[in-house]
Amino acid sequence: MSLKDLREKLDSHDLSVQELTESYLKKIKKKDKTLNSYITICEEEAKKDAKAAQEIIDKGQSKALTGIPLSIKDNICTKGIKTTCASKMLDDFVPFYDATVMEKLNSENAVILGKTNMDEFAMGASSCTSYFGRVKNPYNTDCVPGGSSGGAAASVAAGLCAAALGSDTGGSIRQPASFCGVTGLKPTYGTISRYGLIAFASSLDQIGILANSAEDTGYILNEIYGYDLNDRTTSKKAAGNYLSKIGNSLKGLRIGIPKEFFSDEIADEVKQSVMAAAEYFRSCKAELVDSSMPSLPYAVSAYYLISSAEAASNLARFDGIKYGHRSDTGDTYNELISNSRREGFGDEVKRRILLGNYALSSGYYDAYYKNASRIRKKISDEYAQIFAGCDIILTPTAPTTAYKAGYQENDPVKMYLADICTVTVNIAGLPAISTTCGYDSNNMPIGMSLIGKAFDEATIISAADAFEKDFAKKEAVI
Amino acid sequence: MKYIPVIGLEIHAEMLTRSKVFCSCANEFGGDRNDRVCPRCSGMPGTLPVVNHDAVTLAAKAGIALGCTVNNYSAFDRKNYFYPDLPKAYQITQFEFPICTNGLVHVLDRDIRINRIHIEEDAGKLVHDDYEGISMADYNRCGVPLIEIVTEPDFRTVEEVQVFVEEIALRLKYAGVCDAKLEQGSLRVDVNISIMPFDSQEFGTRAEIKNLNSIKSIGRAIEYEIERQSELLDKGQKVVQETRRFNDNHGNTKALRSKEEAHDYRYFPEPDIPPVYITDEEISDIRALMPEMPQQRYMRYTNDYKLPADDAKLIIADKAFSDFYDSAVSVYPKFREISNLMLGEVNRNLNDTGKTIGDVPFSPEDIAETIKMTDDGKISKNAAKTIVKIMFESGGTPEKIAKDNDLIMQDNSDELEGIVEGVLSENEETVAAYKNGNEKLFGFFMGQVMAAAGKGTNPKLIKDILTKKLSNNQ
Repeated sequence: MSLKDLREKLDSHDLSVQELTESYLKKIKKKDKTLNSYITICEEEAKKDAKAAQEIIDKGQSKALTGIPLSIKDNICTKGIKTTCASKMLDDFVPFYDATVMEKLNSENAVILGKTNMDEFAMGASSCTSYFGRVKNPYNTDCVPGGSSGGAAASVAAGLCAAALGSDTGGSIRQPASFCGVTGLKPTYGTISRYGLIAFASSLDQIGILANSAEDTGYILNEIYGYDLNDRTTSKKAAGNYLSKIGNSLKGLRIGIPKEFFSDEIADEVKQSVMAAAEYFRSCKAELVDSSMPSLPYAVSAYYLISSAEAASNLARFDGIKYGHRSDTGDTYNELISNSRREGFGDEVKRRILLGNYALSSGYYDAYYKNASRIRKKISDEYAQIFAGCDIILTPTAPTTAYKAGYQENDPVKMYLADICTVTVNIAGLPAISTTCGYDSNNMPIGMSLIGKAFDEATIISAADAFEKDFAKKEAVI
Repeated sequence: MKYIPVIGLEIHAEMLTRSKVFCSCANEFGGDRNDRVCPRCSGMPGTLPVVNHDAVTLAAKAGIALGCTVNNYSAFDRKNYFYPDLPKAYQITQFEFPICTNGLVHVLDRDIRINRIHIEEDAGKLVHDDYEGISMADYNRCGVPLIEIVTEPDFRTVEEVQVFVEEIALRLKYAGVCDAKLEQGSLRVDVNISIMPFDSQEFGTRAEIKNLNSIKSIGRAIEYEIERQSELLDKGQKVVQETRRFNDNHGNTKALRSKEEAHDYRYFPEPDIPPVYITDEEISDIRALMPEMPQQRYMRYTNDYKLPADDAKLIIADKAFSDFYDSAVSVYPKFREISNLMLGEVNRNLNDTGKTIGDVPFSPEDIAETIKMTDDGKISKNAAKTIVKIMFESGGTPEKIAKDNDLIMQDNSDELEGIVEGVLSENEETVAAYKNGNEKLFGFFMGQVMAAAGKGTNPKLIKDILTKKLSNNQ
């Protein structure tokens, strides 16, 4: 059921918020022992939220999200509710302030079901680096759900929430959406306030939405976008009306297909499926445009240098002095700080901190961080060039479908290279939506991405919506 | 002298904004520990800095005050290091693109170039409890807006440094940027010093001296360093590049950390803050709003008010004192007389009572009124001093003080006219001599009248009547 339909059911009293919330909580209890998509289930709070929401609906004062049960990725600060970033470091951290997105959700009396599992500090693409254990893929529990918003994607795919908020630094919404067969929207950088999102890489991070459909992602984006005095990287260009183009004909829509995104590194089944989607668009009278991004081979390196450099700095505040894990040992400040960090962070986080600090250290800054910044500029320029000849861009979301847990986590470089299809969007700050365009021979979902011009979410949402309406979706097995 | 010292300065100044630089906590001094702290300045996860526009304006003012270019584009960077008083484990500062560059300040006979002025945030403080064996962090100072002023190594003498620091402090106070109290730490001076042989052009290895909290300790530290470094070179040893701390009690410097132990700050652009753009128009607006600077005030005092140079400097050296003077002369423009009273009696009483001009119980108008009463012949000059002293002790208006203390001179013109006429008719020959041109005889008449009129009579009044009568009789 779409969020719009759900809204109507609630407003017409066909369904009460309490009933709806209870049914989700029941499903979570039943399925999430296996899936592990939630770190914290907010049963009591959700019931309270539901009661309050119902009262508002009864008064006829409901807003778009009143009474809609959502899950929140556990790197978004929730006042009074544990926010762990799936790390031992923040195992017991309870923020005393709400992220701006939470204030917006609360002002509409949305129901918060819980905080979803993820890769530790959003670093990873498998949701296997969580301190609270790995998340399983609802289509095949042996497989990873993708990451880092793997808990969010799994919670949507398994019907454990109506929709989810996640965050995307290099593909962390789109890739798990692809692996779990749901729709994931990463808006333009600066569309949704990052205030209260525990930073991984500040210049790349963006909060976004995972849902059952493109329309649902736009439905939620309409409520949570906007310039925020608390985040000066938000933009007044974010325009709203994200559902305004739904139902528009695709006739004449120019879709760029950059050839570098269909190289040998991409699995054949994925390529075929995405090209079949391209054919679908052509059949709707859209125009396919050959295009090229020559710098794509440098994108992953640039992404890991910039994101790790920022992460090394952003995560330096976790020193055991003010909050979070504090070591029992250490006689000096330096010992206390390093022991706390050694014990509090997992291996992947440590790897990135080391990489980031190395890239920033004197003597290496020009070779690494500065060069990465140059590539960043180059990639943005190449996007501008491609968009001179088309309206949206079609690419695969990931080189493969979901793989078995344990398959490549021990090979970081291989893991990093798998981000090839998603990172350029963050590097250029553009919006992109991933939706399911097929299934592989093992019935695992395949995702395609539609990339839009900055602040033109409406166009990619409408194109994805058109595709989804003609696509036969398979349900998750769990 | 065998060696020439080469000295450059790094000066941190706390800016007088109402709130901190990246959050809305109050920017104040004192108070209870951690009572001006919020999620932002305590580095809570997920929080983001928001630049205080007033801090940008004040930094631009500082630049204008020190003859710098205010840049249209400036940007923030992160300086990364771990210390428990730095809750984010990085300091937000301006590294690559500072807000002001290329200034020039003339002191004594030398031009001191200002390399740059940039905006940054202050860190907190650690409070050590040796009895309990614990350390506590106080984050009240976290996020207090600072500017750092970096000079070129253009100083060659201790005196130049001291005069320069005083000049900078004065200009920052006049510009309203900083209250510039070295002792309280609102102005902090780090000295970079090296020495080179007299005939050399090549600078030696420098040491950086920290913890200098008075003009005097700046002088002592530099002198100590010159001696220490000279002794090393004399013995054929090398000066090590290091940071040293000045000990005020012992008058010496001790090594804090060497170059090898120095932090690698891993600077990179602050992604949470968009660059700062200031248009030429905004810069000229700021320039137009600049208060009068000490140099300009000096010109006004010496050229327009005709004050002696030394008096002008003395008044200007304390901005509040100078503002007080300006208020007084704006009510009653007797520039020299008011200056004399303030530099004389007012200053003497300030010294005696240990007060500053900000906490005296009388107003500039009261000083103006005191001078006016003297001019009007209501009180004598000595009485004016008495009035100032009493105002210091107990406040009150000059008129009331004069009345209560019997300081008003009698206005007995009618009676005096009779006395004058009597004196003149008794001395007709002398009057004739006076009229024939012996003007010295005026004093004789004065003396006669004074004697007849008695004490407490206003001499000015006698003089006026005498002059009138002597010319009338013609």
